[in-house]
Amino acid sequence: MSEALVASQAAGTDISVPAGSGARQFWRRLRAQRAALVAAVVVALLVLVALAAPLLTAIEGQDPFTYHPSLIDSARGGVPTGSFGGITGGHWLGVEPQTGRDLFARLAYGARVSLGVALGATVVQVTIGVVIGVAAALGSRWVDQLLSRITDIIVAMPLMIMSLALLAIVPSSFPRPLLVALVIGLIAWGNIAKIVRAQTLTLKELDYVSAARLSGWGTWRIARRELLPGLAAPVITYAALLVPINISTEAALSFLGVGVKPPTPSWGQMLTAADVWYQAAPQYLLLPAGALFVTVLALTVLGDGIRTALDPRAASRLRIGTGRKREAKADASGKKVAVDASGKNFAADADSGRSTLDPSIKTIKSADANGEKEDPA
Amino acid sequence: MRQPSVIARRVAVASVSLAVAAGAAACGPKDNDAKGSGGNSTPHKGGTLTVLNSQPQEDFDPARLYTSGGGNVPSLVFRTLTTRNRENGAAGAKVVPDLATDTGRPNKDATVWTYTLKKGLKYEDGTAITSADIKYGIERSFAAELSGGAPYLRDWLVGAADYQGPYKDKKGLSAIETPDSRTIVFHLNKPEGEFPYLATQTQFTPVPKAKDTGTKYEQHPISSGPYKVVSNQNDGETIVLERNTYWSTATDAERKAYPDKIDVKSGLDSSVINQRLSSSQGADAAAVTTDTNLGPAELAKVSGDKELAARVGTGHFGYTNYIAFNPKVAPFNNVKVRQAISYAIDRSSVVNAAGGSSLAEAATTFLPNQKSFGYDPYDLFPAGASGNAAKAKELLKEAGYPKGITVTLTHSNDKDFETSPEIATAIQDALKKAGITVKLQGLEINDYKDKIHSVKTEPGFFLAHWGADWPSGGPFLAPIFDGRQIVKDGANFNTGLLNDKSVNAEIDSINKLTNLDEAAKRWGALDKKIGEQALTVPLFHPVYKRLVGKDIKNVVISDWTGVLDISQVAVK
Amino acid sequence: MSGFGGFVLRRGIGTVITLLAISVIVYVVFFVTPGNVAQITCGPRCSPEQVHQVAQQLRLDDPLYLRYWHFLQGILVGQDYSTGTSVEHCSAPCLGLSYQGDQQVTQLILAKLPVSLSLVFGAMVLWLIFGVGTGVLSAWRRGRFTERLLTGITLAGVATPVFVIGLVLMIVVCGQLQLLPFPQYVSLTDDPEQWAWNLLLPWLSLALIEAAAFARLTRASMLETLAEDHIRTFRAYGVGERSIIGRHALRGAFAPIIALNANNVGSAVGGAVLTETLFGLPGIGQELVHAVNVVDLPVVVGMVLVIGFFVVIANAVADVLYAVADRRVVLA
Repeated sequence: MSEALVASQAAGTDISVPAGSGARQFWRRLRAQRAALVAAVVVALLVLVALAAPLLTAIEGQDPFTYHPSLIDSARGGVPTGSFGGITGGHWLGVEPQTGRDLFARLAYGARVSLGVALGATVVQVTIGVVIGVAAALGSRWVDQLLSRITDIIVAMPLMIMSLALLAIVPSSFPRPLLVALVIGLIAWGNIAKIVRAQTLTLKELDYVSAARLSGWGTWRIARRELLPGLAAPVITYAALLVPINISTEAALSFLGVGVKPPTPSWGQMLTAADVWYQAAPQYLLLPAGALFVTVLALTVLGDGIRTALDPRAASRLRIGTGRKREAKADASGKKVAVDASGKNFAADADSGRSTLDPSIKTIKSADANGEKEDPA
Repeated sequence: MRQPSVIARRVAVASVSLAVAAGAAACGPKDNDAKGSGGNSTPHKGGTLTVLNSQPQEDFDPARLYTSGGGNVPSLVFRTLTTRNRENGAAGAKVVPDLATDTGRPNKDATVWTYTLKKGLKYEDGTAITSADIKYGIERSFAAELSGGAPYLRDWLVGAADYQGPYKDKKGLSAIETPDSRTIVFHLNKPEGEFPYLATQTQFTPVPKAKDTGTKYEQHPISSGPYKVVSNQNDGETIVLERNTYWSTATDAERKAYPDKIDVKSGLDSSVINQRLSSSQGADAAAVTTDTNLGPAELAKVSGDKELAARVGTGHFGYTNYIAFNPKVAPFNNVKVRQAISYAIDRSSVVNAAGGSSLAEAATTFLPNQKSFGYDPYDLFPAGASGNAAKAKELLKEAGYPKGITVTLTHSNDKDFETSPEIATAIQDALKKAGITVKLQGLEINDYKDKIHSVKTEPGFFLAHWGADWPSGGPFLAPIFDGRQIVKDGANFNTGLLNDKSVNAEIDSINKLTNLDEAAKRWGALDKKIGEQALTVPLFHPVYKRLVGKDIKNVVISDWTGVLDISQVAVK
Repeated sequence: MSGFGGFVLRRGIGTVITLLAISVIVYVVFFVTPGNVAQITCGPRCSPEQVHQVAQQLRLDDPLYLRYWHFLQGILVGQDYSTGTSVEHCSAPCLGLSYQGDQQVTQLILAKLPVSLSLVFGAMVLWLIFGVGTGVLSAWRRGRFTERLLTGITLAGVATPVFVIGLVLMIVVCGQLQLLPFPQYVSLTDDPEQWAWNLLLPWLSLALIEAAAFARLTRASMLETLAEDHIRTFRAYGVGERSIIGRHALRGAFAPIIALNANNVGSAVGGAVLTETLFGLPGIGQELVHAVNVVDLPVVVGMVLVIGFFVVIANAVADVLYAVADRRVVLA
């Protein structure tokens, strides 16, 4: 083991820690990834379209609620007349079958509901899921059993029944989009909780956590400093996927009457209605499906970028702050070795304390951790 | 959601029966017809017919079924005293004898009806069908364990209001007499000229008392029709029917029974059913559906394809979708407000929401637009193609709302196309121009049905629909507009809470008539008279378009049910 | 008590308590939701007297605790019921009788469960292979065309609702290309080959939806693990890349994969409603939706209990697997 240590150090890589606070390091690492930047821009654009929907539709001269019966062929089921689903100067993306409502306006306003609800719900789900998952994994056997069984109950309870219960309890004056976001958030945190619990169970057995415990750290401090960074990977990854899942859930809820009130459009509802029109008016399906796909792709790539940016070892992988051209050359021949080698020493400090955002802690921990690290896992 | 699925089985729809081709034997020349489709070649006996449905044949017990004219699949197994005439179009809206020799012999004031059974009628096990069996079949429909069906037997038969059914009450219904094994006499507590129509319902199917197994009977009901049930899985999810060898065309001029075997599969998605019928591969080429219509999207696709379009059958059923007012709730207590809304309504956007002009016909009358109902094409509040906003505004001003009015429309969240959010939203848009702002109140479907059918909680302005238990003005108008049918603490269908003595008297008077054509005219006139009160705003009558597989022959669609009659189709 | 025996005992008790809690919740929910159950069960045209009779027969007017007590009694000792012409016995554990059709709920479950299980387990195999496989590929061979394509497919899968995927698949594969006949459920015991062919499209649809999460989680975990100390050590020692990826890196991903899989499998037993409805599979999900629509409480409770049972069991299995995969994890 010690030879490996020496060997890797001899690779001539720089073990200096990039200067600057943790947050700034994060941003630098994020900015260094081109794909993530593009994704961030796309997400920002989507949010912008959602927020500026009234403005954009005013420019187009339409709104999502006005029916245009002259633009559809009533005798043929209401399919839009005109090519490509009725695209004209006044209707940038055509019109909706059966109603003639402007599709661009519906997509734009739908973005507000769908993105807003999905993001809000995701925040709620992640918060609840992480808290419960960590508590279950770190708590005593009974706490774990209790929380896990509660999670099981929530997971097992079908959406229909939950929504029925809610319909009965909540007054209809409660603002709908908020209600939907809360509902989805409160009923669909089970998966995150289970993933977090599973990951925490594994993480808590790791040496540096035991070391922290032995040092007398309280449970919550351990959770915050040691575990949360380790949970960042699966949580952020899964959270990005929760957004499209939540959009589908919103559509299902509107079916059951707990969704946004008609005639407010939402992407989920549009997808549900457009399903049958696949052959007669494909754009009606492809437009919201495409919008959703782009959203998911952007969020996933962005999520990857954030996850990598949070990981201190990524700095060396991304070649930030080391400023050495030599590594780039070494890369060309043995990419992985150089990366690993350059990362290793950095990691030797980092592994013992994943919370590298706080460099002051690092020194203390490495002293403890290095001793443990000598033993093969 | 996807497509307007079939009207719920518990409302008087069931499947449709196509009209019967004129008296064809096993193989014979088919009476070609504009409405039906299905090939030019002659139909032959044999083969297996597949039925692809979305709803299961639940409660396949004649006591429990609620059908219009005996149902489609049920009618293959349950023969009744009378049945619908299996012919295309308007001819199919007539009553003809089935187990009986004629459509019934009334006494002078139509309070006593006598029927004679044909000779040689047998069940699937060879035993003879007797009039006592028909009496027993009706009696068991009163049992609490076998609930379901229409209320007419309870309302019309003497002393039936307190009858508890044969399991609790050993005395039986005295209103039904069976002087001998082929005669049956019904005593009614008021004149009912339309009794022959009622006798088409499955409650008039003979059930042998010895073979009655109560709630288990539906698993294997004893057949009097051309087919018997050989398997019924999961309460009607899959039913297999095979020939009843004791049935013969000698006693049944209506049903053709060409296929040897019928496979009824349900639980399928409506779009998938239509896809399968379009593709017509394998066994699907000999497939039909008895409960799935073409939705607007499918119609759009089919209308571009000649081969497919040739396989689409079009039918009309007595059905009206309308907006109902509760005149006890302000501002609908003001007749001018109701009239204003009647003038303002833009039916074209509502029709579009219902699937377009091929799938829905704008309605200005409460009665369906068919002769058998006595249809009188009146339009008391002419709204034109897209609403008469000017006249509406004028009326609102007279009513005291010069600046327009805000009302709440109650609808269900269910995506069935009758009370759906889509229809409600279309109405919201339709009334905008007249200065009527519509707020939408969506309710969960059971909550919705609960509220609109209860006098205490009925909303002021909501979506409703009504279907014909049989093609006549009687069952269409009476439950909705007869003041004596208002139910104070139960399911009430008189949504306008109308209790007008002259209307009630007219209803009684028409019920005395046994000449159904004359009765139809009077019903039409009554409908117009009631329409003046603007208690409803008729919206549209649905049109049913259905696909059949490419090997299907002899498609007959009557105006009674509006869809293909499964007893007429052949697969060879 | 510790060790596996203790685990089984603890989980067993936990399961029973969970199922009881679930049944109580369902009873309470249905007690507060609107809808005149007696009217719905009787029929829309039933008179108030008839409705009252039905309500009496089904004990719908009893207070909540009494109705729940009868439910428990049924499970413990069974229930007698009248068909009108005779009296039958529903033997313990009797989950009650459907309000609609008087069938025994236990029989309904036995009829529908194989369908749902067929759907879920087949789909599970596919989503694990497809999802984890894509994830491994993404971590290992980033940037290659196949990897990008597969990742794109999984993302499209999670972004599209299952009924859209399913319907489009059916239209294209069965309708236009005619590669397969339209799916029609065939039981495994009747004809295993047909069973598999007919379930292929439903499996694919469900798997495409779920694969994305597995792919991304696998990839993220593997990347994290690959950057760790001991991996470098192995490399320095000359351990092959394949072995590193397959044995060591993948291990790090086990925990979240197992967790997600357990939940997905458990809830999909009743949650794959849209798939079941689209493909006409007479499973638990479809039955549940129907029962909720007609407020058939015994059927709803029965179905939800089945789902709950599978969720708990799946998670128990998952906990065992964590301990197997990572020796340091103590069996909870």
